[in-house]
Amino acid sequence: MNDLTEEQIRTELALILDRRSADTRLSTMGAGSDDLDEGRRYLANTVRDGWHVPTWPREHGGQDASAHQNSLIGRVLREFVVPDLYPFAIGLGMVGPALLQHGTEVQQRDWLKPIASGEAIWCQMFSEPEAGSDLANVALTAQQDGDEWILGGQKTWTSRAMWADWAICLARTDPTQPKHKGLTMFAIPMSLSGVEIRPLMQMNRDAHFSEVFVDGARISDQCRIGDVGEGWRVAMTVLAHERAGGGSRGGGDGNARGLKLPSWVADLQVLVGEQSSDWRNKVAAIYARDTTSRWTAQRAGDEARSTGSPGPAGSGAKLRTVNSYKSRSYLANRTAGAHGMLEDGHGYIETLTAPSMSIRGGTDEIQRNILGERVLGLPGEPRLDRDVSWSESRRGLI
Amino acid sequence: MTEDSLVDPLVTETAHRLLSEICDHESIQAAEATGQAPEIWNAFAETGFPWISIDEDAGGSGGSLLDALEVLRLVGYHAAPIPAAETGILGGWLLANSSQELPDGITTVVPNGRENVTGSVSGDEVTVTGRALRVPWARVAERIVVPLSIEDQTVIASIDSAQCAIEPMTNMAGEPRDTVTFENVQVPLAIAAPGIDLEAFRFRGALSRAALMAGAIEKMSQLTVSYTNDRVQFGRPVAKFQAVQQHLVWGAQDAALARMVAETAAREAARGTAQFEIAAAKLVANQAAARATKACHQAHGAMGMTQEYPLHHLSRRLWSWRKEYGSDAEWSSWLGKIAVAQGADQLYPLVTGGSAVLN
Ligand SMILES: Cc1cc2nc3c(=O)[nH]c(=O)nc-3n(C[C@H](O)[C@H](O)[C@H](O)COP(=O)(O)OP(=O)(O)OC[C@H]3O[C@@H](n4cnc5c(N)ncnc54)[C@H](O)[C@@H]3O)c2cc1C
Repeated sequence: MNDLTEEQIRTELALILDRRSADTRLSTMGAGSDDLDEGRRYLANTVRDGWHVPTWPREHGGQDASAHQNSLIGRVLREFVVPDLYPFAIGLGMVGPALLQHGTEVQQRDWLKPIASGEAIWCQMFSEPEAGSDLANVALTAQQDGDEWILGGQKTWTSRAMWADWAICLARTDPTQPKHKGLTMFAIPMSLSGVEIRPLMQMNRDAHFSEVFVDGARISDQCRIGDVGEGWRVAMTVLAHERAGGGSRGGGDGNARGLKLPSWVADLQVLVGEQSSDWRNKVAAIYARDTTSRWTAQRAGDEARSTGSPGPAGSGAKLRTVNSYKSRSYLANRTAGAHGMLEDGHGYIETLTAPSMSIRGGTDEIQRNILGERVLGLPGEPRLDRDVSWSESRRGLI
Repeated sequence: MTEDSLVDPLVTETAHRLLSEICDHESIQAAEATGQAPEIWNAFAETGFPWISIDEDAGGSGGSLLDALEVLRLVGYHAAPIPAAETGILGGWLLANSSQELPDGITTVVPNGRENVTGSVSGDEVTVTGRALRVPWARVAERIVVPLSIEDQTVIASIDSAQCAIEPMTNMAGEPRDTVTFENVQVPLAIAAPGIDLEAFRFRGALSRAALMAGAIEKMSQLTVSYTNDRVQFGRPVAKFQAVQQHLVWGAQDAALARMVAETAAREAARGTAQFEIAAAKLVANQAAARATKACHQAHGAMGMTQEYPLHHLSRRLWSWRKEYGSDAEWSSWLGKIAVAQGADQLYPLVTGGSAVLN
């Protein structure tokens, strides 16, 4: 198909979506809302012509769009009402792209379309009590039994687990290998017997992340994503998409054409009586940073699409997006004055959510380590356990 | 140093011991769910701690303002979900300084009476009307104290909470900050002693928050040091990473700073008005709280975000207290105006001499 012009894309989208008005507000990812329907309706609506994941193949819910066409669509899409897709984000932004890279034909056929249409929700079972920043330390095991695998262990901080139909799960298949080498990636149905979810409450009263206990759960070998022992490589693809994805969504609700004030500034203006120069400086600094950050993310995104996989630039995007979110939240809450401490205060939920932003998806410190080592070429951190078998390093033998 | 510039060590020891016993993770969580903590309050009140610094003649527990602020520091340290400041050095102080009876139960005080609540005097009664926002623990208070400026006098209205309409609201820490409506409530007229006015009350409020905040930052810093020493990633405690050590140093610096300014302000306040020191203490505590909460949360990773781990009991209180009795901007501009009014030649004497130079 020939690329559409910006105007053609706009006309097409206007047939199925409502235009965004200046007072449309974005919600805070996942906090405070349990509404899955709105996102489902939007995805069901856009999947027919592949508008939400344009680069995916047509048969899987995309439109085989080029990188250039994709960014153009992304830009035009900002002019329309797109609901909070937080519940669907793992599938759309991370598992989907990882399956396109590492999945079998059957896996792509079975799993991609339901992701694009909003039918299936996925969660990410990577972190464990002993494997946070040190993700390669996962201990949940998968043992092969004929053409099945038996899983046992514990995951934690699994966002969206209670909504999810499927999880992408990093497991240890060979403890005698060094820690990065003995890992394999699986897809597991959350309804499987032997999978138990215990929701945890966050300090912002969000209860969407959970502990997941897995005991003797059996899955078919068809659920293995990538080769045995290649789990770390698949995990890196997933995480790179997570970081870069955060970046391309960045800049909050900055207006596409750059003329009107973004809605967060408009909101704050209602709150402030006297706009001090200090306040104006802060608003302008955030706005300027967001704008350049968006351009940088677009450039990195185009680059990633032309090479097929996002690189370490995603870490930079993630740092900037997080910083912007935090600055806006704190400024909003500060502007609300004493009322901002109340449950119904402006920026209340965001202020309680903000500290998690620089932790989830890899902490700021880890992103900077990645940038230092992979972009700047600085010497790597000492890694004593790199060539030692996981079971030995785990027993503290090094 | 004179006798009354020192905290009674027995106060520190007994308050610390008692609060460690009665405030555990579960009881703080439970208080948040229900908006009250009768068991913690009763055990605390039984010792007379809330009324320290109020003369025994006036129904208080005696002791110095320094002792009272030390107790508040420990209340902050233990994240105790109780109206200690409101009942004692704020509400109790206003009642005692207008020769009114102290109730046995909880007293609270309207923090922003000025804008929303008015009073009119006729004969020996005052009639109070209006809607007060963010009143701490109003729903469990026996009396609600409203300081009012009427003509040239400061009137302290002591109102039975049963005479008000109370709508529950909570702050970031899950503590009650209720909306209280007074509809022509009549109470006996009581005039505040000389020197006790709305301005003095506002400074006293800031002093109470600075003490609470100093305690909470200190506990938060200690919690973070111990957690990061226990938490192992990449085969070593995360406290061994320099990036994490930076967070720990911020936490510790801010704890020391906040405690130092709170104690300086407390010492000066025990002697006189101490406006300069109190303004500086609240501003510094606000800024320290902002930095330290960021650093301590970051060093904890996901663990610090869960309700099951106690960090949020401290950080959410700090974010709320930061907004009470003066924001960063309000105290900065107050201090700035004073400095400008004193003139360039007096700047250094002001910084070193504080309120003594102003008086
Ligand atoms: C809201 C939320 C949602 C989440 N959702 C998911 C999910 O859906 N699925 C999932 O798998 N995980 C999820 N996570 C987990 C997240 O990926 C981890 O929290 C993150 O990787 C950090 O691990 P940790 O919390 O164990 O922190 P730790 O690794 O214990 O880190 C503690 C501190 O040490 C620092 N540190 C650690 N190592 C180094 C180093 N080498 N150099 C410098 N500093 C270092 C960290 O930066 C941090 O400041 C979520 C987390 C949060 C907060």
